[in-house]
Amino acid sequence: MSTPLRAERGPVIEPPMSVTDAGLSGARRGAARSVVEWVLHAVAVGLVAWAWWRSGHPAPRGGVEVRAQGELRAALVRWTLGEPVARAHARFDAVPDVTTREWLAALATTGTRVTWDAGGADALPATAIDVERVADPRGLVRVGVAAPAGARVVLADRLGGIDSVVAPHGMVGFRMSPPVGGVTARVGGTVASAAAVDSLALRRIYVVGTAGWEAKFAVRALEEEGWTVDAHLLVAPKNDVVPRPPVVLDTAHYAAIVAIDSAAGGEHALIERYVASGGGLVIAPGAAAALARLTAGGAGAVERGALTLADSAPLRGLTLAPVTNLVAGAVALARRDALVTVAARRVGAGRVVQMGYTDSWRWGMAAGDSAAAYRAWWAGLVAAVAYAPVIGQGTTVTADPAPLVATVERLGAPVALDPVAAARRRTLPVAWVFAIVVLALLGEWASRRIRGVR
Amino acid sequence: MTTFVFATGRYASGDWDSAPLVPPNLIDSVARYTKIDVAPTGVIVDLASTDVFDYPLIYVTGHLPFRFTSAERSRVQTYLDRGGMLFVDDHNHDTGGQFYKTATEELTKTAGRLSDLPNDHELYTCFFKFPDGPPDTSHELNGWGDNLVHKHLEAVTRGNRIEVLYSSKDYSSEWGYHPDTKRFLAVDNTKFGVNIIVYALTR
Repeated sequence: MSTPLRAERGPVIEPPMSVTDAGLSGARRGAARSVVEWVLHAVAVGLVAWAWWRSGHPAPRGGVEVRAQGELRAALVRWTLGEPVARAHARFDAVPDVTTREWLAALATTGTRVTWDAGGADALPATAIDVERVADPRGLVRVGVAAPAGARVVLADRLGGIDSVVAPHGMVGFRMSPPVGGVTARVGGTVASAAAVDSLALRRIYVVGTAGWEAKFAVRALEEEGWTVDAHLLVAPKNDVVPRPPVVLDTAHYAAIVAIDSAAGGEHALIERYVASGGGLVIAPGAAAALARLTAGGAGAVERGALTLADSAPLRGLTLAPVTNLVAGAVALARRDALVTVAARRVGAGRVVQMGYTDSWRWGMAAGDSAAAYRAWWAGLVAAVAYAPVIGQGTTVTADPAPLVATVERLGAPVALDPVAAARRRTLPVAWVFAIVVLALLGEWASRRIRGVR
Repeated sequence: MTTFVFATGRYASGDWDSAPLVPPNLIDSVARYTKIDVAPTGVIVDLASTDVFDYPLIYVTGHLPFRFTSAERSRVQTYLDRGGMLFVDDHNHDTGGQFYKTATEELTKTAGRLSDLPNDHELYTCFFKFPDGPPDTSHELNGWGDNLVHKHLEAVTRGNRIEVLYSSKDYSSEWGYHPDTKRFLAVDNTKFGVNIIVYALTR
């Protein structure tokens, strides 16, 4: 370029360019601009075409999507409704709920490889819950929770917390009133849930024995626990206290028989037939000899209990005729020191519980605040053997009794993620594609306007 | 089998031991008529002690003014709550007498209001049959005491169970003889006592 001349006074005057130089330069710039415009146009059209094509041909991309639990739900929506990924990896700090778990499992069926791992070694404690109806007129349920030893288990239903205990040996049990809307057990980040889905048809209880405190208080305890009791109490050879109308000992009428003493011997054939057909039988020590073919063992030498009957350990204060020489198939259910106090066995289709306390009524009378425990103890003996057919009952509660097991079952075992693969894949968002297209078209348009070309 | 032991209640006021022959007489009758395993001798139990819980039926009688101490009242209330039963008999056979006035007041304070027991209550049919209600005593028929034949016993009930059975008929005098004398009677007048024991043991 030539140097401008400066006059004495007046404006700067540009020297005229050479016509040849100007023509060549303009032609080159025009050609370059045309190329640039063509490239910008091609980029815009290409991106639009690519976007149109991708909308009809979604294909998994390579790489890995790693999502923490908090952002997993949004990612699942995108992976499902947007562009699929080749591999989705979830990092859980708590066991996923049923919806998330099943969503991931469904995603795995569409071609995406789904893997997961836990945020820490103890992040996902294995927990399982089971709820079953107890043969009890008040509709009680028995809840069993399996959890790591020493873990704190928080039990709740829809109305709120119920109890919180430490599982000392990896298992804890609850006996409780019917829950509202199922039961959940929370252990750390794991929430297991279940509902009692069946109800039980409960019949009456038949108590047979000689008139005495043991029979009276057993009947009273069972009645106060909600059972309807028919008592046949022998008072004199020709004078019994008998139910009206006369009883028919079968499982259509009775859930269980309680035999208090040798008076049961008068009905031993009926009782044996009843048990063989599925009925339950509770045998007190006094009736063991009379029902020898049904007992879980013999009645041992009588041992006196502690001098005082303490609320804290009332069973220690009772006189005990321990169950000895258990028959084949019998199992000890409770002991006092080394002596078996309660044993059980199956006879035919029925179940038999034999207990060794001869004066359990003293627990009900003498042990102050544990009188309720006395009644529950008798109800528990009956519930252990009672014939109680299940009546199917629907439930709307979503159960997830063993969430960690279900997660492993549905998604496979946890997989440690390769650090390289864990790097987040950079994807080109749709907004950026749109922006590039707009900028390319604007650039082309501006260039053409400057050149004076429409 | 748990042995039935007849218990007589001892209280701080009055004369709790006014009918010492009633327990052996009733024990004899229970052994005579029933298969109930009954201890051959009765016991005396302090109503303020925890021993009351070993005897779910306690017999109480007396002639003199009857008051529980606060310890006795509290213990008896707990005893009744847990399933015990008191049989209280007025040894005066006199509804205007000191024992009746004070005992009914004390029992009302302790257990609740006494009311007439219907004569068709199962107490009268649970072993021997007494279709007309409580059997009359010779003292009533002779016009002693208040010169009345009491048609009903009184009771405090919980649900359908008798907690306190109160008699103004003076069974303590009627049954207060040596058991061997029973063989000279045309009709054993202790049979209703057997009913009370059978009722307590079965209801």
